Parts: sequence; structure tokens; C-alpha cells
Amino acid sequence: MTPTANPRVQGVPGLTPPPPEPPPASPNYLENGTSLWSWLSTVDHKRIGILYLLTISAVFVLGGVAAGLVRLNLVTYNSGILSEDAYNRAFTAHGVLMLFFFLIPAVPAVLGNFLIPMMIGAKDLAFPKLNLASWYVFLVGLVFGAWAILNGGIDTGWTLYPPYSTRGSQSSVVPGVVGVFVSGFSSIMTGLNILVTVHKMRAPGMTWGRLPLFVWSLYATSLIQLLGTPVVAITLILLGVERVTGEGIFDPAIGGDPVLFQHLFWFYSHPAVYIMILPGFGVVSEVITCFSRKNIFGYHAVAWSSMGIAVVGFLLWAHHMFVAGISYYSALLFSFLSMLVAVPSAIKVFNWTATLYRGSITFQAPMLFVIGFIILFTVGGVTGLFLATLGTDIHLHDTYFVVAHFHFVMVGGMVLGYMAGLHFWWPKMTGRMYSDWWSRVSAAIIIVGFFLTFVPQFYIGYHGIPRRYPNYPPEFQIYHVLSTAGASILGLGYLIPALYLPLSLFYGEKAGANPWSATGLEWASPSPPPVFNFDEERMPVVVCGPYEYALGIDQLGRGLPEPPGPGGAEGPAGRAGVTGPAGPMQKETEVVG
Amino acid sequence: MNDLPPAVPVAASTHAVDFEYAFWYITAAVTVGSLAVFGALLYFCVAHRRGAEGTGSTPRILGSVRLELAWTLIPTVIFFSFFAVGAVVYSRAMRPPEDAMEVFVFGKQWMWKAQYPNGQRVIIGGNPRNMLPQEREKIGKLVLPVSTKDSRRPVRITLTSEDVIHDFGIPAFRSKMDALPGRYTTAWYEPTKVGEYHIFCDQYCGTWHSLMVGKVAVVPQDEFDRWLAGLSTAQGTEHPVDGSDAQEGRNLFLKLQCIKCHSANAEARAPVLEGLYGSRVPLKGGGAEIADEDYIRQSILKPRAKVVEGWEPVMPSYEGQLAEDDLEKVVRYIKSLRRGTTPDRTDRMPAPVGAPAERSPQAPPSSPEKK
Amino acid sequence: MSASTHAHSPVLKHHFNDLGQQHASERLGMWMFLATEVLFFGGVFGAYTCYRLWYPAEFELASSHLNKTFAGINTVLLITSSLTMTLAIRAAKLGDRAGLYRNLLLTFALGAAFMVIKGFEYAEDLHEHIVPGASFGGEIAADTAKHGLDAGKVRLFLCFYYVMTGIHGIHILVGLGVILWLVGQTYIGAIPPENYSTVECASLYWHLVDAIWLFLMPLLYLARGAVHYGH
Repeated sequence: MTPTANPRVQGVPGLTPPPPEPPPASPNYLENGTSLWSWLSTVDHKRIGILYLLTISAVFVLGGVAAGLVRLNLVTYNSGILSEDAYNRAFTAHGVLMLFFFLIPAVPAVLGNFLIPMMIGAKDLAFPKLNLASWYVFLVGLVFGAWAILNGGIDTGWTLYPPYSTRGSQSSVVPGVVGVFVSGFSSIMTGLNILVTVHKMRAPGMTWGRLPLFVWSLYATSLIQLLGTPVVAITLILLGVERVTGEGIFDPAIGGDPVLFQHLFWFYSHPAVYIMILPGFGVVSEVITCFSRKNIFGYHAVAWSSMGIAVVGFLLWAHHMFVAGISYYSALLFSFLSMLVAVPSAIKVFNWTATLYRGSITFQAPMLFVIGFIILFTVGGVTGLFLATLGTDIHLHDTYFVVAHFHFVMVGGMVLGYMAGLHFWWPKMTGRMYSDWWSRVSAAIIIVGFFLTFVPQFYIGYHGIPRRYPNYPPEFQIYHVLSTAGASILGLGYLIPALYLPLSLFYGEKAGANPWSATGLEWASPSPPPVFNFDEERMPVVVCGPYEYALGIDQLGRGLPEPPGPGGAEGPAGRAGVTGPAGPMQKETEVVG
Repeated sequence: MNDLPPAVPVAASTHAVDFEYAFWYITAAVTVGSLAVFGALLYFCVAHRRGAEGTGSTPRILGSVRLELAWTLIPTVIFFSFFAVGAVVYSRAMRPPEDAMEVFVFGKQWMWKAQYPNGQRVIIGGNPRNMLPQEREKIGKLVLPVSTKDSRRPVRITLTSEDVIHDFGIPAFRSKMDALPGRYTTAWYEPTKVGEYHIFCDQYCGTWHSLMVGKVAVVPQDEFDRWLAGLSTAQGTEHPVDGSDAQEGRNLFLKLQCIKCHSANAEARAPVLEGLYGSRVPLKGGGAEIADEDYIRQSILKPRAKVVEGWEPVMPSYEGQLAEDDLEKVVRYIKSLRRGTTPDRTDRMPAPVGAPAERSPQAPPSSPEKK
Repeated sequence: MSASTHAHSPVLKHHFNDLGQQHASERLGMWMFLATEVLFFGGVFGAYTCYRLWYPAEFELASSHLNKTFAGINTVLLITSSLTMTLAIRAAKLGDRAGLYRNLLLTFALGAAFMVIKGFEYAEDLHEHIVPGASFGGEIAADTAKHGLDAGKVRLFLCFYYVMTGIHGIHILVGLGVILWLVGQTYIGAIPPENYSTVECASLYWHLVDAIWLFLMPLLYLARGAVHYGH
């Protein structure tokens, strides 16, 4: 059953109902050459997105295995399973892989690559060859990372603080640093490409005020990638040179200052956590409007809070260094600024919640992930306030409290956001629906497992148990055991999508162009989309903002198909008899604010 | 399984109590806020689920400036109240009282060593597996006197590191401070509960990071005095009388020829150091600096970085020339210099019997011309 | 990809609507890349500034041992190359192919001369032990000792000297590669007047590399400045 089979179309008077899906004139992007070479040499942003998807999925598995080793070892209080050296290498591998090779490229390079041109009505990103180059550069970085791991691993922690990383460590620091350095360029390339594309290649009528919020959030992300990454690049060069030559500018033996490294490192690495979380915000805004059939509450507040986070995010790096010997007054300043960045995040949470008000909400997997996101991100966000507050940070710094806070934001926030996005756009990317039931089960398991993993860590962090400790006081063993039990549930939760998503490619129902009845331009194109995204004779012309769910029109002003029903049994492609929204004229009277 | 830890960790210092107030204030505020959001979320999800009454069509709500202003400004105010509370707690934690007993702690891979004002040293934790046999025998505790209402016994910890960055953390005191190579940092406590508590290294420092742990023992004052006395007979230096740090520092001051320039006479090529500690030093090229411990230390290691107004930058650097504990002794000596106590340039005599000022906390804190 | 279904300029890429959009995108992309470069060098400039303020005497002494003659000649070469690069844009815009060749090759020659002189300078530095690490020695070490300065901080300056000029040199080499590529593009006729924007983008990069040198030169070679210290 295709959406057009339903005669109930709520068009705006004078605008045409959606035309019947045209028979694809050009091959879709998946069919445009099937040889391996056609993939490896592609400059199609959608294919490059898929290449990234495969790559980072592999990284996620590797990083997950490292996390598993860490959690397993912590079941014992005396490092009873791994040696201390092995444990140190495992948590470093987990951190480096997950942060630099999974979270940073996850949404920008997979979903961003795939969706940004489609959402703004362009045929491709501005620099397709640069885009492909960014993937190869990423691979080169990954090869160096893998070399470091195969060569015995790195034991410095992902923060690479000298002088330990320059003189103390006996491990393969240099290949690891080169890997992170090289992959940084891939991140810059992706960011630059997205920025230029959003600036210069928007479809007619796609004004800044009509951009989907996903585009806004990626725009803010790209800005950070562009301006932050080069600083860590030069820092890593300086670190690498010092490591190789035995002398350099962070070396206290000749008057160098190791704290300077921390400043330079966090100048990038603090904004980098916004590279990781901002795209998740974008996904939430897209999904929550679609599954509640509502306009986003306060479009401008949500859009500008992303930009606010990107800008303020550059001004608070030293809140990682409150006990690192920085001056009293700079600690005060950075604590104050850190409070400022919490405000836009809070605004977003309130606006998302308000969006649900008087909606018509259904709970398919993307929505479940998003609800999980909001709850977990809120917990992660408010626990961050304890760390931004000077008096409490003195105790909580470098304890499991930090670990739990960071994972609540990064896994609870970003990974769930990524999962939501993947599930939301999977039909667009592949043309197939996945199992509705299994996807809901997986979302539930992931959220429950996540809570069980990280809530105990808040508690032992409050007790002052330091992070990166394979040996810890025995009385805290029970909490580590609980956490590991949670991690195994979490692992199971991730395993299920790894099965039903690939299976859907072969057994999944055909998705149709707009299975969720969403408003974005990407849904105006067939699934999977043709090579240049749209019918080239009729490139999209945008007539209204995103999220006109209440009016029942998409950004081209065409009526939306009937949204999928609330029930799981029929699947999203099923069209349960639900009353559609009323006419648009009646709506205008209900506009608030 | 082992016995569970207490539900709320022991708060064994004045700062720990401050911390608990701040912690629970923030906890209460954010719990209320989060529950309000979660409640609304849950309510909307149930009440406005598709198929529920009145959900056939959705209204076109674009936002509400009033509401959004409210939930921008109210959290801002609340967050800044966190900042204010935290700043107060932090200010107390970062500013040791002047009469605090000073204990010098330095970290190295992978052990902590402490040195008391009278020169007695003790290894207060670390991994026995990578210690020398004689070090292993010396593993003890950081013993501190307990403060009572009538007699406060604050302790000031001066930290540094011999190799990589460490962090000296005592959860029961809710305190933590990095130990950096080539620099001094400070933490201070006023222990209020007798007992034994964990010391952790909180900054990752390599293979045995998780074994760079030890114990702090808070004991009554008389027991502390006995312990310290016992320590000095057991582990004191050959010259118990002049074995204090400041006295050894004095010997170094003479041995290293510091006295050649920093003498008290008129032809001196360098400023007189009497009463320097705590005073305000005008710097060449404008500005001024309070001569705290770190300033003195930096001036020995990097003499040309902050030259005193009116003097030529002629002093050589002692970086790499002085072992960490020797440097500490010289710094202590300079701190103890009072008006008229600079030795004669030719003085090679053993130090006179008599305690430098920091040896007894009851002594008047400093000479009047300071500040 | 470049095979257009539209009867437009052969240099118009398929995913752009028109050349105006294409060129605007290219230029914006290049400006953003330059922003990245500024932040990249900004990191090391910031670090340099810290130490320059902490250890002025050592930095001035170390700086006075560098060869200002080589640096001066190199500055003239780079500034001149910026002029020829700009003339190349003009030639491209006017469709003056010979002029384009001439100016590109001149720019290349000037840039290459910069690198050759830099090579001589490095060789001289090595010969005189003006290097950080164990090989530090010779006259600079003697001078340091004579003034009672700390050799460690002199070596710290030399770390900056090699890292900063080294990274700058790599940028020059990349620029030389880009200029050669432009010569090749000119040869195959891929730079018609309406596509002069390609040359402009390359020139933006070249000017930035030039501008960075104009900061490096005083920071590294003229650090001694008006401050007089020592005997």
C-alpha cells in the first residue's frame, strides 16, 4: 500500500495533492553501479554516508568490545581478570575509538552526509570529491589507530596528558596520536562541506528560517568542527614531536608547562562534546514533531540555542581543569561561563516537551529512542551542573560521577539520538521497513540496560571512587557488579538492531516515499532516492517552514499522506483508520504566541 | 561480597560539610526540575497518544514567547545560584588559614611521600611492588590531628610531583588537587572526625595508578604529638635539632652560593630576602605579585620570568640543579627569613639551635611590614 | 559527473545550478579552510606567546642567533610571490594564457627559492648546533652560559622555531604543488576566463601562507626587538 493510494489528502486550497509517485526515471542511488569499485570511487553523498555507516559500525563494535573488557575486569576489585596494563589499554582504546572514531563522525558523517543535501533540496554536497576524500582520510586515521592497538595499545587515556604521554608511557602513543590527528582532517572536511552546502545550495524558497532543525544543529556542529579541530591538530603535532624527539614545549624539564597542553587540548575537546551531542538535538527535533504531528514549539529558540551552544561552548574549556592548578579567578570565570551553556540545553528540553502538548503521539522505535534521549540527556545535563559548580567539582572531579555524567550525555544522549535517526531515516536510506516490534523491544532494552549500567556509577562517584581504577576498595564491588550486569543488558540491546536492520534489507516491507508522513524535503523523493536526489526536471521549490504537521502539508506545500497508526501489529506501513487533521483555515485560529 | 559502604560517605572535615550542603542543594533543585519535565513528558505521552480522546487533529502551536522567556530566565537564575554556592565553597577550600600546619606531599610513580614541618618523612601509600625494600618498610599513614571546637588544627598540604601529573584526593575531606611537576599547588583541611580514610591518586598516571592509594589517619592531638615524636626518633635525620627543613635549606642557601648575591649588605647584587614571604613584589616592566610559595619557587627555577623592579636579571636558573625536596627546603628557609636573620656571607658555621618560625604554629605569623 | 545535461559551460559541475553558485561555493569553502588554518597556527602562536612572556631573556638570546639575512631575503621573496599570484588571477580573468603561465611559473620559482634558502638556513643551524635536544651546543650554548641564562628555555625556543617554520614550510610545499596543478589545468584548457575563480582560490591559500610568514618572521627572528638586556 503506497501513501498515494489513500485518497484522504489534506492539501492547502490551491496547492496540488502529491502526484502519484513517478516511476523512477533514473536508477536509485543503490542501483547506480553495484561493483565494489563503484562504491569505493563514488562521489554521491548518499553512498559516502553509507560507507561511513559501515565503517563506524565496525568501530562501534570494537569500542564496545573494549568497554566489555573494562566492565568485565571491574567485576573484581583487584583487577582479577586483566592485568593493570591491559586494563589501562582497554579503557584508552574504548575512549579513543568511541570518541574520535565513532561519536564525532556518527551523525554528521552518516546522517548529515546523507540528509543535508536532501533536506535543503540540493543535488549533492558542494564538494563531492572532498567528501569522498574525507572518508579515505578517516580510514587512514583508523588504520593508524588500529596499528596502535595491534602494536600493544595505548595506555594514556584518551586525554593524552603529558608528561605521561610524552615520557612516562611505554605504549604506542605516536601511531595513536597520528590516527587522531589524521581523522581530525576528515572531520574538518565534512564540516566545511556541510557549511558551504547550507550556505550556498539551498533550494529556492528554503530560507534560513525554514531550514529543518536538523540542518541548524549540523550547521552549528560543523562550525565547531571547522574552528576547534585545527587547534587540537596543532596540539597533537606538538605532543607527537615531543614524544619522538624527547624534547618539546610541554616538557617541564626544560621549562615547558604540561598544563598548557590541557588548555589547548580542552579548547578543542570541550567543544568536541558538542560536536557529539548537537546533531542528536537535531534528530530529536525532527522525530518528535513527526511522531506527535505538531509544529516544533519555538522554532527560533531551538535553532538559536544550537548556535548559542556552539559559540559559548568555545569559552569554557578550563572547567575540566578546576583542580589542575589554574588560578582561582580563572576557575570562577570558567565556572560562571559553564552555567551559561546549560541554559540553551535546558531550553531545548523544555521546548521538546512542550511540542508534545496536544499532539497525536505514536510510539514507533524512533520516538521511543527520542523519549529515552530526552530523559537520559536531562539526567546527564543536570549532573553536569555538579561538575560545573566549583565547590562540588573539587570532590567529584575525576571520579565515576564524571564517567556516569559523560555516558549519560554521550550514550544516553548521542547514541540514542543516533539510533533514533538511523531508525527514522532507515526506510529512506534503504527503501525497506525494519521489524517494528523488534525495534521497540530493542529501544526498551537499551534504555533499561543503560540506566542499570550508569546509575550505580553516580553513586560510587559520589563516594569518591576515582575513574580508571582497576583496583578499588572492596566495599564498592557490588555497585560495579550491578553496573556490569547493566552493561550486558545494554550490549544485548545493541545486538538486536544489528540483526533486524540488516535482515530488513532482504525481508523488510517496501517503505514507500514517506512512510512516517513527515514534512521534510527528503521525504518528497522516492525511497531510496535517485542519484541526484530529486527529479532533475522538477527540483523542489519550498513554500513553507518545516513541521507543518498541523496543516498537514510538507515543505513543498503538498498534502501529507495519512500517518502510520499507533499500533505495532500493522507496522508503520499500515494505515489505520485515524481521523486526519482538520482543514488548515481552522488551524490558523489556534496559533499561540 | 563485602560490607557495603555507608549510604552517605563520611564527612570528616569542615570542607566536607560545606560540600554536602552544596551537593544536596543542587541535588534538590535539579531533582525537582527534572521530575517536573519528566512528569509533563509522561502526562503528554499518555494524554495525547494517538487514539486518545480529542487527538484527531493537532493544533498549530508555534510557541509562546512568555513561556519560553520564563523557562530561559528561571533556569538561568537557578544555575547562577549553583555557581554562587559553589564559588563560596571553593573559596574556602582554596584559601588555607595562615596558622595551618604545613605538610609537604609529593607524588611520584607510584607512591606518595609526606614531610612534616620538623623534617620527619613518611611514605603514605603507593604500590609496594615498585618500591625499594627500604621504602616498603616505611609505608605508613598520613597522620593528622583532629580539630575540635576549642582547638582548630588546620593542615595545609603543599603538593608537587617528581614525574608526571598526579592528584592527591581524600574523599572523606571532599578534597582534591593535582600534583604537577615543576609547580606547587595547595590544598588544606580541617579534619573533624577521628578515623581512617582513603587517599586516592585521581589523575591517571600510568600502570599502577590504581595502587597509588594510601590512608589518612585523623587522631587526637596528643596522639598526633606522640606519633610525630615517635617518628622522629625512629626516622629522624642525624641532626635532630637542626634537621628541620628550613635549617637544611639554610645550609643549601649557603652551599649554593645564594648568599653571594642575596646578602644583607649594601653591595648586594640581588634583593634582600628578609620578610619577602607574603609581601607584594613590584615587578620589572610593571605589575606586582604577592610573593607566595609558588612565586619563590618559580623565582629559583625561572629567575628571569618575574624580575623585581630595580634589579638586573642576572640570576642563573636552578632548574634541574636542585632535587625536589632540596628545593622545598630552600623555599622553606626563604619563607622563614626575618629581618636581620640573613647570615653573613662567609658564614659556614652550623645552623644555630633554635626553631624557625614555621616550626611552631603558635608563633606570630609574620613580621609586621608584610603587606 | 562533469558531463552536464545542460548546455552550459563545460566547467560547470552537475550539482550546481550555475557558475555563479559554483564559484561562490568554492570561494566560501576556501575562506572557511583559511579560518581553519588560522586556528591551526593560532594554537602554536598562543603557546609561543605564553613562553615568550615567561622567558623573555632566553627567547631574545636564542632569536639573536638565527640568521636574519636569510629570513629577510625570504620575506622579500614571499611578498613578491603574492604579487605575481595576484597578477596570475588578472591574467586568468582576461583570458591571457601566456600571462597566466608566466605569473604562475614566477610564483612557483619564488616559492621554490624560499624553500631552497630555508634549506640552507636549516643546514647552517644544524652546523652551528642551533637545535634543541642533545645536539644543542656550539656558540649559542656558550653565549647562553655566558649570560647566565637557562639552556633549557633556549632549547624551548628552538622547539618553537623548528615546529613553526617546519609546518609553514610544509604549507609552502603544498602551495607549490597547487601551483603546478594550476599550470597543468591551464595547459589542458580547464581555466577559461569564466573559471578564473579556481586561480583565485589557490591565491587565497597562497596569500595566507605568505601572511603567516609575516607573523613568523618578527616572532622568531626579531624577538630581541627594542628590549636590551645583557652585556
